[in-house]
Amino acid sequence: MSTKPLPSVESIRALVGHRFPGGEYTIAHWENFLLTECTGADPLPDDLAHPVVLFHVPILGARTSIGEMFALGQADSDSSIGIESYQWDFFKPLREDLTYRVEGEISEADRRENNGRVQDRIAFRFDLAEPDGSPAARTTITWLYNRGRR
Amino acid sequence: MIVNIGDVIPEWDMPSVRPERMRTMAAILRDPNPVHWDKRAVVARGFGEHTINQGPLGLSYMVNMLHGWTGPTSVRRIVMRFPLPVFDGDHIIARGRVTAIRTENGKRLADCDIWLHREGTRHPLEGEATVELPD
Repeated sequence: MSTKPLPSVESIRALVGHRFPGGEYTIAHWENFLLTECTGADPLPDDLAHPVVLFHVPILGARTSIGEMFALGQADSDSSIGIESYQWDFFKPLREDLTYRVEGEISEADRRENNGRVQDRIAFRFDLAEPDGSPAARTTITWLYNRGRR
Repeated sequence: MIVNIGDVIPEWDMPSVRPERMRTMAAILRDPNPVHWDKRAVVARGFGEHTINQGPLGLSYMVNMLHGWTGPTSVRRIVMRFPLPVFDGDHIIARGRVTAIRTENGKRLADCDIWLHREGTRHPLEGEATVELPD
């Protein structure tokens, strides 16, 4: 049983269309190196960034944070968030030292209940573009904000 | 490269998921969730005694499998779901199978089912990928 008040369903649905400030992000060699090592792989050739960067680069590039995304959905706690899915689309390989333009918004937000368990499902969509404006990648992060039994 | 529907993708092995990699990942991601880096927080929440791997890290094992198969610029799409957590110390194997082959804008693409295998449980991660096939 959750101890926090249940956010109104209207406040959750009203998140659709929320846009993050947007901005630019340049993948540094050090972060690509360390992230690639975290995956257990060797560094990729030709300044290629490991695709795993498509989690944090869109979030930070759009000028938000995991913490803000938790807060926007009025998460009960950091550990009450579950992942429904990640969808990653690559239109071009991502590279170090290239400055990407990043835009992000909340594309879906709604409530569902199953056997007394309440979850709010929120999807965040981010787009990366190369300096000439051509699309580089898109990611959709769909999280489940668990509200416990109500 | 000759690929057929039903082909099995060469698997990629992570013998033991390491907690220090979760901590590095958390720092770079600015991830405030302590279940990835504080064992005491995991215990307090009743999740056991092993820190929980970040979702993108589990996904990256499948990217590594695809890179080993079709090259480091081949991944076009990944859709991933997360039925179960992956814990530090887990032995995880990324696996996949070709479900379709098609041509789009002159490029040969392979659609695949992909998943993480862990002995004794259902797949902790499962989804689909599309890769561009090399000539």
